[in-house]
Amino acid sequence: MILPTPEEKRQWEEEGYLVFENAIQGEDLKRLQNAFDYWADACKEEWLDRVEAGEAVATFYDIPNPLEKDPIFIDIIDYPSYYGALMEFTDHDLILLGPQVRTVAPWPVSYTGWHPDVGHSNPLHIKVQIYVNDVEPGSGEFGFVPGSHKPDAGPYTRPMRQESMTGHKTFPGKAGTAIMFNSCGWHVSMDNHSDTPRKSIILIYEKRTPGRIGPEQFASISASCQTPERRKLFSLDG
Amino acid sequence: MPRIDAHLHVFTKASAEFPREISDVWPADREEPIEKLLGEMEKHQIDQAVLVQMAGASIANHRYLLQCLKEYPNRFLGIGLVPEGHPNPADHMAELTDNTGIIGFRFSTFGGPRDIFAKMDVREFAAYPIWKCAAERDYVLWLYPNAINAHLLPYLIQEFPQVRIVLNHLAVCPGTGKFSWDEFGRPQVQVTGYNLFMHTTYRLARFENVNVHLSGQYAFSSEEFPYKDLAGWHHGLLGGFGAKRLMWATDFPWILEEPGYGKLTTVIEELLPNLSEAELADIMGGNAKRILRFPDL
Repeated sequence: MILPTPEEKRQWEEEGYLVFENAIQGEDLKRLQNAFDYWADACKEEWLDRVEAGEAVATFYDIPNPLEKDPIFIDIIDYPSYYGALMEFTDHDLILLGPQVRTVAPWPVSYTGWHPDVGHSNPLHIKVQIYVNDVEPGSGEFGFVPGSHKPDAGPYTRPMRQESMTGHKTFPGKAGTAIMFNSCGWHVSMDNHSDTPRKSIILIYEKRTPGRIGPEQFASISASCQTPERRKLFSLDG
Repeated sequence: MPRIDAHLHVFTKASAEFPREISDVWPADREEPIEKLLGEMEKHQIDQAVLVQMAGASIANHRYLLQCLKEYPNRFLGIGLVPEGHPNPADHMAELTDNTGIIGFRFSTFGGPRDIFAKMDVREFAAYPIWKCAAERDYVLWLYPNAINAHLLPYLIQEFPQVRIVLNHLAVCPGTGKFSWDEFGRPQVQVTGYNLFMHTTYRLARFENVNVHLSGQYAFSSEEFPYKDLAGWHHGLLGGFGAKRLMWATDFPWILEEPGYGKLTTVIEELLPNLSEAELADIMGGNAKRILRFPDL
């Protein structure tokens, strides 16, 4: 397990995010890209049918139940390059809430506005966004307001245009880059004015609280979770 | 400031003089005439209204609407329909707007690619001539997009930034097969618990020419009036579009029995209780007067 350096810990506390360049690379990145592309393609028509029926969002789609579809989607949950930091920041008491294996279409407007996911009363809630393809500036890259995760930060209001957010920073990156952020912080997907869909995976974690995730949630992948650490991460033993 | 009901329907019995389409909900002998509407408006201090054509898109189908607009030119403005696949929509639109009080047109499909990942060329969209005509002649477009059409809207809005857009009924985009009628004769639209529209139509707030109706709550809510389960949707629209681009409406006559016209005149105060007096006045009529250019009374 690779634990964060003192500088990384300071940045996490002060700014609320960390960037892991080349977090996933080589054969693992190829496996991830192949699995992503295969299943995104396989699931697309059903998603469009659901859009037409008014049951799914029209501007992006997630591969349903990805953990059951390819082992690489399980392997990235506790991937060494960022898993140590996740464990350290949650006092080694981490649970997975779920993955979003997401394809976002180019569109004149981003599919979401600036927002925090949770309030400060929530247990520490962390997301890791992994780029599956290269994400250039102006093609739906992640945006974050450093320091906005702190209870005394703000107040913030949502601007009409993503780029008008006070104090924000954007994070274009190569495929395999992982961006970890405190979900109390204000964040967004920037506009994608390119011709390329943004492919990324958003892993959602939290510091464990009793009963937050039941053992049934990830029971279908129990066979892939043989170590005590994994079983704890996936809340498989209650 | 006037109080304006920004979206409703009137119709008379089907006849040779006033031909219209019929259905189970509006059979040939049903009528919801302008006099009945005026009675409700009088009773509840509503000054003006937008009459939206229904039951047919042909020129002849618009006769009753045109008569109402002619008879009460200071009280009402009209929204017409364009027959789907019309070979020359510009001619149809011109005929209906020739000094008649019809200011725009309502439709729900744009004829572009179903797949948001497809290459978009708005000039290839079937609705492109309608938008072009609206841009050239300053018509208002009254939109209730089908779910599979919502992603096409920003491309058209970018192409025609001068066109005034009004998204109907909380900017909802109904899904195929999700439409029905309830025991009170009201349209019902089944929607998901998670608000999908905040990722599509709500995102159009960036375009200053896009406005939204606060109406049709009865069709989407799983509660009785005042539809508190939709308070979050109203706050979301207020936060995105601001109080200057929202318009209250009742969708008369569907609401006459339940909850009744009078109750609906209070729905905005119920769902957005923190509005200032000026903001409430804007939503209840000021915005419709300014955006749709209602005449002074």
